[in-house]
Amino acid sequence: MNEMTSGHIVKAYSAELEHLNKLVLEMGNLGQDQLRRAVQTLKDEDPKSAGQVIDRDRQLNEIDIQADEEIIRLIAKRQPMARDLRDILTVQKTVSDLERVGDEARKIANLTIRFYDNGKTPPNKETLHDIYDMSEFVDEMLGRSLEAFAELDLDKALEVIEMDKKLYEDFRGSLRRLSTFIMEDSRNVGSVVDIVLALRALERIGGHAKNIGGFVIFLVTGKDVRHVDIQAISDEIAASRVAD
Amino acid sequence: MEQVVNDTSAVTQGSGLVVDAAVIEDRNAEGTVGEIYVDDPRMTCRNVNVYYGDKQAIFDVSLDVGKNQVISMIGPSGCGKSTFLRCLNRMNDTIDICRVTGQIKMDGQDIYDGGLDVVPLRASVGMVFQKPNPFPKSIYDNIAYGPRIHGLSDDKPHLDSIVENALQKAGLWTEVKDRLDQPGTGLSGGQQQRLCIARAIAVSPEVILMDEPCSALDPIATAKIEELIDELRENFTIAIVTHSMQQAARVSQRTAYFHLGKLIEVGETDQIFTAPRHQLTEDYITGRFG
Repeated sequence: MNEMTSGHIVKAYSAELEHLNKLVLEMGNLGQDQLRRAVQTLKDEDPKSAGQVIDRDRQLNEIDIQADEEIIRLIAKRQPMARDLRDILTVQKTVSDLERVGDEARKIANLTIRFYDNGKTPPNKETLHDIYDMSEFVDEMLGRSLEAFAELDLDKALEVIEMDKKLYEDFRGSLRRLSTFIMEDSRNVGSVVDIVLALRALERIGGHAKNIGGFVIFLVTGKDVRHVDIQAISDEIAASRVAD
Repeated sequence: MEQVVNDTSAVTQGSGLVVDAAVIEDRNAEGTVGEIYVDDPRMTCRNVNVYYGDKQAIFDVSLDVGKNQVISMIGPSGCGKSTFLRCLNRMNDTIDICRVTGQIKMDGQDIYDGGLDVVPLRASVGMVFQKPNPFPKSIYDNIAYGPRIHGLSDDKPHLDSIVENALQKAGLWTEVKDRLDQPGTGLSGGQQQRLCIARAIAVSPEVILMDEPCSALDPIATAKIEELIDELRENFTIAIVTHSMQQAARVSQRTAYFHLGKLIEVGETDQIFTAPRHQLTEDYITGRFG
């Protein structure tokens, strides 16, 4: 039980908050695993496993619904305030982002089926490298955002937000590179469009990780950092540490 | 305002950030976190100390009460919030062993000035108590009593209009207009409390003090009082002591948190209930200690 959830006079309240936080981590681990498995099916050219990844997305949807139900019950029963209120809002938003991580992973698994099911024409392997590279980076972002949530670690939360800038630059770079394949051979158009959609899915997963980083900052400090220059937030947090 | 540097009480907000309460910039000289001043104060309290005999109940509290604002005072039992409220209209004068030091002004006038008559003061700063306490008189006479003794009305038609106006403002007129000669004690609990509010309003106060005004009422009567408080804000300044944090969050614009006789934190109600800055405030409003 962490410092954010513990210490209530009514112990059941702490236990309920703790359970909600565990659901987030369970969902996060599942989402991260779905991402890895989806990309692996592409590497293995394995449409059967891709189908399993798609089926498994239901588990994420179920946890999403379970978390929402528990949040509604908890708000009605406990009328949370201050950090408890921020914790519950953070859980609700994080769960929503993690459910979408699952949706994006499903899109990548669908790509495997489109490329390799029933003897379809596979893409030029050179065009797939960017997916593999970007998936590793996004995997790291997602993992770090979940660590930030579990450990209430502002440094990790800030790192994830910073990493999103690099991710977007990499995404733009990939688009430029892929356009050369189309220019060289117009038969690549279909597969390159599918690959761009997969890269877009990965870029969105990175965006969800960035959102989670922002929610962690809100949870710990009470400051809403959406649409705010991250440097200003970073400076403010650093200043409060110096003062300490 | 001055920075307190020797206080070591730490506000821990997650493992990544520890804010030391000693370095919160707007912590004032008395140790309160948050802004004790407002731009347009009705009442100003400075370095107020209250003693019951040898025992000190309030320690060096400074706080402004803004015009046409509702300020909530919250805190655990025995924290001094009701004692402080009772200082605002010198109700503590009625307790022999009670002694108040410091300065409390209303519209610039020191209410503890030796020459000040407390009777008009208590008309200007009315009070509503935990349990409704209507006089054993008719509904009409409950309201008319104050204006009569304060000489606010010379003739019956004028007094009638004061009674009607007070009952209108208290949201009770339509319920009692046909039975003004009936005893006030015959009304329901919620109606009795609104009668007491009407009684306070009838003498045209500037400030209304409310000491847990809904603690003896059911949820419907409570909702009516809360709605009334919001409406009264247009014409009056209100200070309310409540044990219900949800009520404080609903009805007030500013909230002050008391602990062991000290004003720990004061701020905009929205800020206090979403992101309080002092660990004691946070622990109290999240139910981490009683």
